[in-house]
Amino acid sequence: MKYYLLTLGCQMNLSDRDRVSKVLNDMGFQQTEHESEAQLMGILSCSVRQKAIDKVYSRISKWNKWKNKKNLITFVSGCILADDREKFLRLFDLVFPVSELNQFPDMLKQYGVVSPMVYYNEDLLQPIRSSETLPSELLEWKGMKEMNLHINEFWNIKPDYGSSFEAFVPIQNGCDKFCTFCAVPYTRGREVSRASTEILEEIENLILRDFKSITLLGQNVNSYGLDKKGEELTFPELLEQIGKIGERTGKDFWVYFTSPHPRDMTADVIDVISRYKCLAKQIHLPLQSGDDKVLIRMNRKHSVEKYKSIINKIKDKIPESTIFTDIIVGFTGETDAEFENTRKIMEEIKFNMAYIAMYSPRPGAASSRWADDVSLEEKKKRLHILSEVLRKNSLLYNKSLLKKKMKILVKGVDRKDGFLSAYNEGRIVCRFASDDQSLIGKFVEIEVIAASELSIEGKLC
Amino acid sequence: MGFNTNKVYKVHFLRQINESVFVIRFDRHGMNFIPGQHILIGLDEKSMREYSVYSAVQDDFLEVLVKAVPDGSVSKRLKMLDKGDMILVESAVGFFRIRHNELDKKYLFIASGTGISPFHSMVKSYPELNYLLLHGIPHIGESYDANEYEPGRLIRCTSKSDKGEFNGRVTQWLEENNVDDDLQVFLCGNSNMILDARDILLKKNFPAENINTEVYF
Repeated sequence: MKYYLLTLGCQMNLSDRDRVSKVLNDMGFQQTEHESEAQLMGILSCSVRQKAIDKVYSRISKWNKWKNKKNLITFVSGCILADDREKFLRLFDLVFPVSELNQFPDMLKQYGVVSPMVYYNEDLLQPIRSSETLPSELLEWKGMKEMNLHINEFWNIKPDYGSSFEAFVPIQNGCDKFCTFCAVPYTRGREVSRASTEILEEIENLILRDFKSITLLGQNVNSYGLDKKGEELTFPELLEQIGKIGERTGKDFWVYFTSPHPRDMTADVIDVISRYKCLAKQIHLPLQSGDDKVLIRMNRKHSVEKYKSIINKIKDKIPESTIFTDIIVGFTGETDAEFENTRKIMEEIKFNMAYIAMYSPRPGAASSRWADDVSLEEKKKRLHILSEVLRKNSLLYNKSLLKKKMKILVKGVDRKDGFLSAYNEGRIVCRFASDDQSLIGKFVEIEVIAASELSIEGKLC
Repeated sequence: MGFNTNKVYKVHFLRQINESVFVIRFDRHGMNFIPGQHILIGLDEKSMREYSVYSAVQDDFLEVLVKAVPDGSVSKRLKMLDKGDMILVESAVGFFRIRHNELDKKYLFIASGTGISPFHSMVKSYPELNYLLLHGIPHIGESYDANEYEPGRLIRCTSKSDKGEFNGRVTQWLEENNVDDDLQVFLCGNSNMILDARDILLKKNFPAENINTEVYF
């Protein structure tokens, strides 16, 4: 039997996908990239943008039509708002939170599916962690919300990484920040940190298997450990331990993390990154808006000044680092003057990359009950203006790299014939002329010979 | 399977404060919270809303202050609750709170409407707190539990009548009065009030880092 899995949204969903694949592969299912070949069809959904939810409805509508002609089982998991969940229950055969993935084989069994091979691999899961057996009141005290009651079992599933050199490692799930534009606290529940012992074990295994790029994932990755009230490492302490693994093993690899929140971006985090070679000198720090009033309406709990002071500390301590960000334009009530402040800070900070989104209300998020009062036309205009600033500054930075030699990680075949695609430690996209696909997954040295907006070109040294 | 993730709490009673505003008291189940934090409550998972805790940390129950708004799908249903009814509650989070090592500082609390809720919790939880509370309301009849604050610490700023301790908006009070730099200012409620009040404070060269905000709507 074959399965098809559609993954929408962020890196967290991509990481979840690796674990869903592991469970299905261990049951004897075979993954296919062609949905017409599959008998089991699944979606890892995303609620961050309406567009993603629309895709879920469109796809299940198609699959349900196919059911008239062949036997199919459909499932959906991932980030799902309660409202959509109720509708999905009528459209999909199985709907479950990803934290209950370990129960997926039983769900399929109850559905009458006999798996082609072992059906259920008892060794798949590690013993349930002791905290899972504690009374619910104590679990609550420990910050473990019921939505994430089974998250430890989920994390214990050893993933089938989609790559042999890049891996996502979830270290935390959920969010306590309640930004008014975001529905994550309603889809993934409150922040729960994964045990550092498990994280470090997974990372060391990846390093020993010669993985080159590891990204730590969490909705608020740098508030890692805070939910455990002193009983777990903090985020900088976790990074320090990873740095020490790098030194001990002597392996060459880069560790990234996403997404941090400015509120928890302490000097300790910046300091530890500066001290360890394996901690990549690239920081993705969402700004969302360059205006304090908009930040207040967004309930971001940081000011522009605070954000700028963090960036200054990063540039002071790690001058070679690249800075990425997220920005929303056209948030409820954003005036021309408020937007102008965002444009100014874009000019000032000169981000290497910015993921700029036009605001759209997310059902369930607090701001969805407010007027979406900036016109689509105005949002497009603001998006265009910021994109131009980004391109201009990115080009300036990339030109500064000309003639420099640098290490890059080869990622795959480039769209341009005869070229391979890669990125450097700062995650600047790079390509170079080569047909040698054996280089994919390896570090190579290049000299930068051309710079363009958002990317560079090099030649092998 | 497994999606009913919120805890079910029993309602003790509803206490009507005026025609549209009421307090819901319900089980606490030992929930930890810091005064100023908010919880999610609702009647089903699709209609969870954030409400600041109104009660004190010493209380063995939880309370929230709710305004039934005409178009509010959730608040109108909450108004129908009765003793013994069950509601869904998710535990407290949030950063709108007094740091434990700063309880001896002086505080200026500024609220509009039900934005007074976190301040009620702070004041009841920390009886020694040195504070002044400005409450922006249209009429005196829309003040909530005014007798629970020490005399002289609550200034009801009434914008549509002259029966409050101050006749005018909270922003007008801020313009007309000195605000010492060593105060910690906490603003909660309507975003326009919060942003206007912040502008006035900044114009007076009040330090931005001493301003804390919680936007309700």
